[in-house]
Amino acid sequence: MKRRDLLKAGALAGGLLIGGRALQGSAEAAANPEARIGLAGTDGHITLPGRGPLYIFGFATVPLAASVGDLVANYKGKAQHVAPILDVKQDNDVYITLTNLGLVGRPDLVDAHTIHWHGFRTPSALFDGVPEASIGVPIERQFTYFFRPHNPGTYMYHCHFEDVEHVQMGMTSIVFVRPAQDGGSALDPLHRTTTYAYNDGDGSTAYDRHFAILLNEIEEREHDADEQIQEFIFTDYDPQYFTLNGRVYPQTILPNNDPSLPYQPVSSLIQANPGDRVLLRLANLGYLQHAMQLPGIPMKVVGEDATPHSFPYVTNTLYIGPGEARDVLFTAPPFNPSAPVTTDARGSYNTYLFKNRDFRRLSNRGSPGLGGMATEVRVYQGSPLPAQTSVGETYA
Amino acid sequence: MRKALLAAAALLVAFAPSARAQAPAVPRQGIVCTNGTTFDLTATPGYIETPDGNSVLMWSYALAGGEFQSPGPVLCVNEGDSVTVHLHNDLTEPVSIVFPGQTGVGGSGSSGLLAKEAPAGGDATYTFTASQPGTYVYESGTDPEKQVEMGLYGALIVRPAGHPDYAYDAATRFDPQREYLVLLSDIDPDLHHAVETGAPYHFDQLRNRYFAINGRQFPDTLQDNGVSWLPAQPYGSLIRVKPYNATGNPLPALIRMANVGTVNHPFHPHGNHIKEVAQDGRPLRTPGGGDASSEHFAETIGSGQTQDYLFSWTDQDSWNPGSNPFPASVASPDYRNLTFKDGNTWSSGSAYLGSKGTLPVGTVSQNICGEWYFPWHSHALNEFTNYDAGFGGMATLLRVDPPGGCTAVAGTASILAGTLNSGTATALAAADTAYYKVNSTVSGTRTADWYGGFTGVPRGSTGLAVTYTGRNSIAALPTTLWIWKWSTSTWVQMGAATGVGTSDVTSTRTPPSPQSDYIGTGANAGKVRVRVLTTGTTTNFVTQGNLLKLTYDAP
Ligand SMILES: [Cu+2]
Ligand SMILES: [Cu+2]
Repeated sequence: MKRRDLLKAGALAGGLLIGGRALQGSAEAAANPEARIGLAGTDGHITLPGRGPLYIFGFATVPLAASVGDLVANYKGKAQHVAPILDVKQDNDVYITLTNLGLVGRPDLVDAHTIHWHGFRTPSALFDGVPEASIGVPIERQFTYFFRPHNPGTYMYHCHFEDVEHVQMGMTSIVFVRPAQDGGSALDPLHRTTTYAYNDGDGSTAYDRHFAILLNEIEEREHDADEQIQEFIFTDYDPQYFTLNGRVYPQTILPNNDPSLPYQPVSSLIQANPGDRVLLRLANLGYLQHAMQLPGIPMKVVGEDATPHSFPYVTNTLYIGPGEARDVLFTAPPFNPSAPVTTDARGSYNTYLFKNRDFRRLSNRGSPGLGGMATEVRVYQGSPLPAQTSVGETYA
Repeated sequence: MRKALLAAAALLVAFAPSARAQAPAVPRQGIVCTNGTTFDLTATPGYIETPDGNSVLMWSYALAGGEFQSPGPVLCVNEGDSVTVHLHNDLTEPVSIVFPGQTGVGGSGSSGLLAKEAPAGGDATYTFTASQPGTYVYESGTDPEKQVEMGLYGALIVRPAGHPDYAYDAATRFDPQREYLVLLSDIDPDLHHAVETGAPYHFDQLRNRYFAINGRQFPDTLQDNGVSWLPAQPYGSLIRVKPYNATGNPLPALIRMANVGTVNHPFHPHGNHIKEVAQDGRPLRTPGGGDASSEHFAETIGSGQTQDYLFSWTDQDSWNPGSNPFPASVASPDYRNLTFKDGNTWSSGSAYLGSKGTLPVGTVSQNICGEWYFPWHSHALNEFTNYDAGFGGMATLLRVDPPGGCTAVAGTASILAGTLNSGTATALAAADTAYYKVNSTVSGTRTADWYGGFTGVPRGSTGLAVTYTGRNSIAALPTTLWIWKWSTSTWVQMGAATGVGTSDVTSTRTPPSPQSDYIGTGANAGKVRVRVLTTGTTTNFVTQGNLLKLTYDAP
């Protein structure tokens, strides 16, 4: 690794950003730069329209230095869904320490947790997070997962302990790997960004803003059964809510860390200046295939399953199966004053919907009105938005 | 059941020796081909067993004279073959076979909507030329909404002419020892129960409860082909590879995937990406004819589709405890602070391939010698279940074996002639500075004769090889290696003598077949003994063993 790369890695490590923003591990200059991240597994509740608080299992970001006792005292019962989005860099040594805090709502349940690094080329079964083939982390114990990712792209992580249950209960998120190519604007045809989806060699995956969005579903009967110490038959799976980053529309367009959604901190709102090249890092950890559309803006699929497409294609409808990931680029169109215009604190904007094609999945628990798996792309008049400083950044 | 099938096939061959389908020589793992150009199938009912103790009525195609099996036999033909399939119908309603992906299918039988049909108790025949290599399915073309769901399906493999080790072309060359079928299916037992009892079934009420690979649900998928306790489900799907190595192991495994189920299935391989090279019997190509294969960590296979994948497993960093260890803070967690689910694990207890660690007391390990296990499963996780129980259904395991196979070092050393000079068997664990030393006899032709004992070698292991590194206190002495044959209680010499002098010499030997003779059974289960005999001088000497190692491929 060259000195310059080390500096870049150091600069990238902005410290821990809590809640709705991605977690970049704290890095130090070393043979391979390090990223260290602390996650805790526990339970909690989230808010969905049309029902009371929904019981979840999930992860939360926790400080690495704290004792297990302090973590239990401060974070038990405070899981977030979607789990923190993790932002790491190619060739870094990534250490992720998982602490199992136990469950407030089910003190009778002594489930372990794990983290499965979904899609990573795994050099050791020890770090694959499958409790039947490696280890599980029991309550009030810790384990550190180690990876040195070499292939940039969009991945997922989730608990693999009784995974049909723990995944549905909410222990799911996106982890993405930035390419070694990041850091210079020479390859960017527009010479204005230093970020790329892949090591493309020609700037074809350069982006100005990126958004990591996890598609998921919520089968409330399973969550309610879990809370009430009942068994749910998983082959009865038939979800009522369809989420993006753990929220349903219109929650999806609230900003990151909105106070009304304390345990769903991650927004899916996509705000862009005209001409911005926007990268969508999409992944699906529901149990159903989804057809996603962005009417009015063609989507260019540049990568799939953390593999760059040698032949990117343009589409209007994107199919994403469970466990699959796509990297999609689009260019924000010019502001169109004759199209419907809305105004917020940043000025006037046109709205596009990034939404599921299946109307049943655009509803919250079957009730009328737009809901479910949808969010807005807002393209502003002029260029009022500053440069993005973290993935999925929102601007009030 | 396997025996009956073979006997039946023998009869069949006696009556029609030409090109009739040959009952497969069944490998323990991997694809089980029924080779031939003419196949006799019988549509017949039978029951499968599910891991949760249920049994489900299925209809399937069986080899004529053979037992009921689900799915139907894997028909393997060569490109260009004229293929004939005779169908006899032991069901009570007309059935047929369609061959999606094959063109110009002719035949005889009673007329049907999609294909000639065999009436109840009657027959039909299908003929086609297998013009395109690839992975295909065959299935019922009669009342398919019921009959296909009932299980009337199977896989058809067309191998490229002259190249059985290609899926399609040179770019899809694979290791023929590592060819796997992953045939996905789903079952709504309510429909099967309705068919069994004549009860009504509403076809818009589909609720799949069982999800299978090659007709079995996890964990039955891990069992060998043809195990006696799954008589109607003869095909396992454990995937086994060794790490990619440009010289030693350059060829990928071939995973032939097919979805004969009702719904699409998103399949997720842990461990490494899989490379999709073909779909529905056609290689993936760009419009210009270039390579359009693609790597995936999950890929949805549509209902009725086939996909072919090449798979190599690579550790990009070549982690190993010697030259490239994991950071010390993560390599050796304290397992007493962690949990092994249900106290029963496939884990080796080590971070390194080919190593075993010490698991907490009371933990049962299924791990043989430090191999990896990674689940491959549907990521529609409701399909990763058996009805209501998780970690079942549409799943199997990838097993990554250590590159050199399993390695055992001698745990004991016993002297047959001569006396102990110094050292213990521990000195034989590695080629280092520690030696196990034996004084020769002190009269006549001097001899030092001793053996090392190995334990834990599983029955059914193959590829046994012995490595001995040692030296003597005086110049070159003929040294022979022997292995204990338990059935006759005799030593069997392995190869010619090697001259071993005062510096270390390494010899590698493989015992003659059958290797099962050398693995103890009963009270001696898993034991192997290797003898080192040094002789041929009238001067006293000391033989000095440095390394005594056994490698083998675990079953
Ligand atoms: Cu996964
Ligand atoms: Cu998995």
